[in-house]
Amino acid sequence: MGKEINEFTEELLARELITDAQMKSIKQYDALGIFSLHNELRFLLYLGVLLFTSGVGVVIYKNIDSIGHIALLSVLFVITGIGFYFCFKKAKGFDKNEVLFDNPVYDYIVLLCTILSCVFIGYLQFQYAVFGYGLSSLVCSAVGFFCAYYFDNKSALSIGITGLATFIGITVTPKTLMENEIYSNPNLSYYGLALGAILILWMEYFVRQNLKKHFHIVYATFALNLVCICCIAGLLEDFWFVFVPLMAAAIYYFYKLSYQIHSTFIFVLSLLYGYIGINIFLGRLIGLLNVDDLVSFILFCSPFYVIGSIVLFIKMVQKFNKEKHAGIR
Amino acid sequence: MQAYDREALENGLLVTEAKRLFAMKFISKEQLTIVCTEFSLLKSSSIFIRFGFFLLGLFLFSSIAGFLALIFGQILDSHFQAMVYTYAVIGFVGSEVLAKSLYYRHGLDDAFIICAQAAICGAIGMTFESSVSVFAAMFVIGLVCCIRYVNTISALISCVGLVGFFFTLITELKVISSMYLPFIGLILATVIYYVFYKLNSSAKFLIYQNALQLIKIFSLVLAYASVNYMVVRELSESLMGIVVQKGHDIPLAFLFYGLTFLIPLAFIYYSLYSKDKLMLIIGFLTFGFSIYTIRFYYHILPVEVALLLGGIALFGIAYFAIRILKDKETGITFKEARGSETDVLTNLQALVVNSQVDVKPMESNSKMPFGGGGFSGGGAGESF
Repeated sequence: MGKEINEFTEELLARELITDAQMKSIKQYDALGIFSLHNELRFLLYLGVLLFTSGVGVVIYKNIDSIGHIALLSVLFVITGIGFYFCFKKAKGFDKNEVLFDNPVYDYIVLLCTILSCVFIGYLQFQYAVFGYGLSSLVCSAVGFFCAYYFDNKSALSIGITGLATFIGITVTPKTLMENEIYSNPNLSYYGLALGAILILWMEYFVRQNLKKHFHIVYATFALNLVCICCIAGLLEDFWFVFVPLMAAAIYYFYKLSYQIHSTFIFVLSLLYGYIGINIFLGRLIGLLNVDDLVSFILFCSPFYVIGSIVLFIKMVQKFNKEKHAGIR
Repeated sequence: MQAYDREALENGLLVTEAKRLFAMKFISKEQLTIVCTEFSLLKSSSIFIRFGFFLLGLFLFSSIAGFLALIFGQILDSHFQAMVYTYAVIGFVGSEVLAKSLYYRHGLDDAFIICAQAAICGAIGMTFESSVSVFAAMFVIGLVCCIRYVNTISALISCVGLVGFFFTLITELKVISSMYLPFIGLILATVIYYVFYKLNSSAKFLIYQNALQLIKIFSLVLAYASVNYMVVRELSESLMGIVVQKGHDIPLAFLFYGLTFLIPLAFIYYSLYSKDKLMLIIGFLTFGFSIYTIRFYYHILPVEVALLLGGIALFGIAYFAIRILKDKETGITFKEARGSETDVLTNLQALVVNSQVDVKPMESNSKMPFGGGGFSGGGAGESF
């Protein structure tokens, strides 16, 4: 691959779009023959942690009566303790900005320890009911947040947020969002909206404080999905009109936010949810009219409706790209 | 030959290269801006936006289809195939119109190109009522679309058509004994790889580089899958009715066992040698599948021990690899390549961690004595 792309570099040089000095440094860099396994090895570490913690989970699940609680708990405690010991030793301490370990391996040890602590807490709760009703997930979430902010770890942050959601009674993993228990239990959508609002406020506050700005995207993604899915669930309920302004406000907020942080991901998600929301809204309006004769008329209109929305979307994307790249198409 | 202006396509590649150089901090933002304004470009979009427009395109196509079905459905009662052919024509007309209005890798054009192919293959299937003809159509149409619209996914459709064609020839029409199926697969993979290799080394086909990368992946995966022990065994049980008794095995079992592990190792070795990231990833994935294959037939270790050991092994391998590669400045290294996007990886890991981590079952475990509701892991709905 490398070779062919160099032809384009030369083409750029020939058209005097890059300078000779730049070409020289590019060639020097190419001569090093860098083949970086950075991301691949990080991914292997991540996979290793996930496999190991699932293994621990299965061991506990299968042997909860046979090995002995104290033994299992102390093994867990020791592993987690050793892990945390190394992490604290190597950590550069808390900082408002992004801090990285010298060796990324520790990022994954932090993740391992966070997950194992959650397992430990869950076990304590199961066996000895230390924390009382539902509080165990709150404690897990506290551990997650602490690790996230102290060690600068996004995965721990995501565990923390999930813990909070579990505390109020929703599972917000990507998988369950797809399967959606929220639709079967309407009360949950109110809780979900509340949590989403809290996450947004929290995020805005910390951004003002300049605290770990790069966590922005994780909060935004969780809040966006949570709020929008809860609103959509709400739109399908009896009191759907309550959710129309809520959803509109949420979409507007995230639309603005995507401009602020230049995130294509948030932009596309908010448009997508917005479009789904509008379609459900229109569907409900038509449902209110309750005229069967209209069906063929609607089908007749649908291609024009879709074409219209496509044109609108193209316009919006163009505007977004213009803003985002400011000169670069 | 292409629906697009060749120069515009090549300009796109030049801009891509400039963007790469910018990401690697070789050139300044001003230079990139100049490059971007210098050339006339096609209308492309980034991956998320492309996906969004792809969905909209599917929407549009199906609403047109519904519209036509509503109007002409009753007239064409017994000739429904004509309708599907019409859909195909609409798909191709749409693709041409989009290409003429310079939409390329935009999402809308992808939707129409794929819908057109699906419609025409479906129509041919209805007319001839045989899967061989459908696969043959897939091969031809996919190839044509890939060349004309410089479309990546069409290359995959074409490859699937080719393999499916031979597969049905052997399994349904019994042209030769099903016993040779693994070797036919291997030969096809070699042929496809050879085609990739030939075309990839020629500068003329640079605009097709994505499609070429895709057929390379396809050929590697096909080569592995056609001699993977599990695939061969399951297929020979269902196609040739071989019943594997205890203590016995399928014919040539040792060969398939060997290849199941040799091929991934060869991929990994060769990819490190030739610095080919794509092949490396495929090597790891296929190796993982090989382990799954063995565990499928031989329950050597209980699942939790396998998970624990696997986790430790992976972590250990990665850890030592990092230690060795950490300070290397040239060749294979752990140093981030210039312009690589580590941020994307950590964001992705953060989002995925929850769907994988076993914190949840422990949670519902912990609530079980109080709230009931079993091990569904479905959150705390039961305790409030």
